[in-house]
Order: sequence, then C-alpha cells, then structure tokens
Amino acid sequence: MALIRTCHGHHDNSDCCQLSSGRARPVGGPVARDRGGATVTGEKLLVPVSESPTLRNTVAYAVRNAVEGEDRYDAVHFVYPASRRVAGEEYIESARELLERVAVWAGEDLGEDDPDLTVETELIGVDDYLFSPGDYVDLLTDYARDEGIEAVLLDPEFNPGENTPLLPPLEAELERAGLVVETAPVERGTRRDRLVRRAGLGQFVLLAALSYGFYLLIGGSLAAFDLVTGAISAAIVATVLWRISLTGPVRPGQLVARLARMLVFTPYLLYEIVVANLHVAYVVLHPSLPIDPEVVEFDAAVWSEIPVTTLANSITLTPGTLTVDVTRQHFTVHTLTESSREDLLDGGLERAVRFVFYGRAAARGPGPRERGDDGGEES
Amino acid sequence: MTLVTDALLVAAGAYVVLSVVILYRIVRGPTMQDRVIAVNVVGTNTVVIIALFAAALDSPGVLDIALVYALLNFLMSIAISKFTVERGGVM
Amino acid sequence: MVTLYEGAIIALLVGGVFFGIVAAVGLLRLPDLYTRAHGASKTDTLGAGLSLAAAAAALGSGLPTVKVVLLLVFLFLTNPTAAHAITRAAADQGIEPWTSEDRGDGE
Repeated sequence: MALIRTCHGHHDNSDCCQLSSGRARPVGGPVARDRGGATVTGEKLLVPVSESPTLRNTVAYAVRNAVEGEDRYDAVHFVYPASRRVAGEEYIESARELLERVAVWAGEDLGEDDPDLTVETELIGVDDYLFSPGDYVDLLTDYARDEGIEAVLLDPEFNPGENTPLLPPLEAELERAGLVVETAPVERGTRRDRLVRRAGLGQFVLLAALSYGFYLLIGGSLAAFDLVTGAISAAIVATVLWRISLTGPVRPGQLVARLARMLVFTPYLLYEIVVANLHVAYVVLHPSLPIDPEVVEFDAAVWSEIPVTTLANSITLTPGTLTVDVTRQHFTVHTLTESSREDLLDGGLERAVRFVFYGRAAARGPGPRERGDDGGEES
Repeated sequence: MTLVTDALLVAAGAYVVLSVVILYRIVRGPTMQDRVIAVNVVGTNTVVIIALFAAALDSPGVLDIALVYALLNFLMSIAISKFTVERGGVM
Repeated sequence: MVTLYEGAIIALLVGGVFFGIVAAVGLLRLPDLYTRAHGASKTDTLGAGLSLAAAAAALGSGLPTVKVVLLLVFLFLTNPTAAHAITRAAADQGIEPWTSEDRGDGE
C-alpha cells in the first residue's frame, strides 16, 4: 500500500516525520490505510530534488525502480535541500510547492497498483547555511544516516541552485560518504526548455545596467541624445533577454565579493598563461616537435554554469590544455604534453576558480589527482 | 612618435604576412574544423591589425570596426561548429 | 634616443608578433586539429593580447584605451570558447586525436 508523507521545514529529521505523520495523504486509492503487517526490510531510497527539467522523469524512474527494480525499496524519500537563511522565504515556499508536486507525481506513478511503498517528501536544511557544495553533501549524508538510508538516486540535472548556484559532484562525494549512488538515466526533453528560465527584477536591472553601461562606453559621450537612446536600447535588450542571459539570482554582496576575488585571480591566470605560453612556444618551435598529446578526463569540483565556464576557458587559455567537452562537471581535456597534463591534474587552476566563486575555504580542497581522479585516459 | 608609429605599422605588416602563411592551412584542411581554426586565427589577426592601424594612425574610431569584427569572428566560429554537428542546442 | 615609453611599446609588439609567429608555425606544423587548436586558441590569444596592449599604450589614456581593453577582454573570453566549440564539434564527429604512436605514419 502506498503512503505518502510530506513534511517541510524541519531540519531535525527524526522529529519531522513524527510531526508530519498526521498529514499522511492517501495515494493510489481513495482511502488512506496504514502499512499494516507489510514486511519491512528497511530499504530506503533517497532522492534529492530541485527544480530541474528532468525532475519529472527522475521521480518516475525512482518510483518505478523502487517498485519493480532489481533492488526494491520500501520507501522513497524525496528531499529538497534549501536554506531559508541563504535563499529567503520565497524560495522555501517554491521548494515546498515543488515537493507537493513531487508527491502528486509519485502518486500518479504508483497508480492503482497500490504497491507497498512509502513516499516521503521533505525540505531539509531550512535553518542551516547552505553555501558550499560540501554543505549539501553533509546535509544529505546526515539525513541518510538519521533515516538509515543507504542508496541515493540522483537527478542528472539536480541543482538546488536557483538561489544557490552549486551543483556538487554529489555522486563522488556521497559515495565517499559510504552511500550507494545512482544517477537516474533520464534526459530532458529538449534543450529549448532551458533557454528561458525564471528570473526576477534583479536580473532585469543588472542586465539593463550592463547594457546601458556598454552603450555609453562605446558611444563615448554623455550627451542627452546618447543617454536617451541608450536607455531605450538597454530597456529593449533587457526585456528580450533578461530571462535568458542571467540565470542565477542577483545578490549584490556576493557579486562584489566575486569580482574582488576575480581581480586577485586575473594576475594569477595571466601569469599561468604567460608561463605556459612560453612552454608551448618552445614545443612548437623545437625542431623535433616534442609533443605527446593525450585526452584526459576528470571531474572538477566546481558546480553550476559560470564557474564551470570560467574553469573551462581558463584551462583552454593555459597552453598545453584544451577543453574539448564539458558535461556538467565532467571535463574532457586535450593535453599537448606530459607536463601540461601534470599541471592540469594538480588542480591549481581549479582551486583558483573555486576561490573566486566559493571563497577561500573552498580553494583549499583537493585537486583532481588527490580526489583519486588520475584523468582516466581515453584510448 | 614616428618610431612608435613605424613599429606599429611593421607589426601590423608582420601580422598580415602571418595571416597569408596561415592561408596554407585554410586551403589544405584537411578537415572542416582545421579550416575553421585557421580562419579564426586569421580573424583574430585581423582584429589586431585593425587595432594596430588605429593606434598607428591615431584614429580611435577605427577601434569600433575592430570590436565589431571580433564579434563577427566569434559568431562565425560558433555558427560553423554548430552547423557541422547534428547535436543541436545553442552552444 | 628611445624613451622607456617607446621601448615598452616596441617590446610588447615584439612579444605579440613572436607569439603570432608561434601560432602560425604551430598551425602549420602540428599534426592534427586538436593540437592545432592549442596553438590557435592561446598563443594567438597571448600574441593578440600583447599587440593590443601595445596599441592601447600607443593610443594613450582615454576612451580608446578603454575600448582596446574591452577588445582584449573580449578576445580572451571568446577565443577559448571558439576553440572549445570547434574541437567539441570535431569530437562529436568522431575525429580521433593524434597520439605519439601515430608518429612515423607521417601526416
């Protein structure tokens, strides 16, 4: 028999479900029944959810897998890690709505069969500070431990980042914490869905301001005519593109901090570029062309689009390494020589990018090799 | 300032020669991507040449041409790589 | 007599042209498109960067310099992206990267 429980907003997980058991909702049948004498093996599946294009399919896969998959589960826990302190009350509200939607979807997927599956949805980490990817990992592993969960199913597009743009390489991190992790084999329908996203006034204002600034800069005059036409152009640009160009939330404090750290990063990057350029110049001009190209792959510990793009471009700019493909955090990098490969896997650049986007603490994390990623060579 | 002007013009000339040399790769290929890379380099060189001319002739207005050309150059690379694969998507 | 200012501009130009040459030589000598993309995407970017810096210095302070810097930033952002897009397109088409084992097969 199916039982769906919903509880929100309590970080203390063990209390939470008791609190919410009174709100148990029937699914798959008109009447709610208790679980009765069903054999409880205690196998539970944890599914972290967030707003994502593949969420619907992930939910379907989780439910189907739990009911008829190889390893059956008695319970599926859909959890939404969201922090009120970081993301604000409005975000918590939308997370709550999403969880309700998930519960409804799970109910639809269970259908009339009324299988013996408990579905729980829960908002976790509401009163925590969720900043760095590590916070998410800790939160999820704590939850799993408290609930006695050993298996995790990941939505491939999971990103609790509409307000916190961090998508941890959860798979590796959670596995290290001793959990069995699987990524749901689902794909989003079309890429077009992702082009237009939710955005607020912040994005609009920022985009308009940037466009206006650029217009005036290029125009090079502050005459009344330029001011007016610039304002009109900026308004048009922002109206058309505000939901496409900027995806993350606009938080001025963070923006300034990142820009400041970017200023520290730039000289470092320039230095790396020059050093590595001389290296490539030597290689290219050397009569015997001492190259040993190889494609390496590794998972970078940066999450969400702008940091990933920054890292990918930085890798490409430092000669000897060229980013060929990036799928989420999985980088495929073409390296020209042995030494450039070493530098890449030592992770200096990656640390620098983490420093820019996540602050000093994140910069001290391990590089790809220390994470046990030796660049899994492709033939 | 004539020394600087001369130096700028000589450098621009060097870039022109380099671009002509790179034409070999554009003609030779062998793959489409090889040609795109080479064209992209020629495009970057062109931007530099325009900027050097702007500096040498002290006519900053020419810089706008360089800016637009840089934009077009980038768009061309992206467009060609997009249309040479069936993968679709924006980038 | 060459002043420090002129010397700096000429040094920048020499560096820029040098890396421009490296990019062109790399483009002609390197064995496959991935390795060529290396030369194209960065030695050329650095070469262009140095030359543009020389142009900015020659133009003196003011709006033109801002524009050159903008151009510089733009090149640094777009060149790697373009190289990335091109090589990914190549990888999607299944073009195999050249490895040192292919040496001796000739180009």
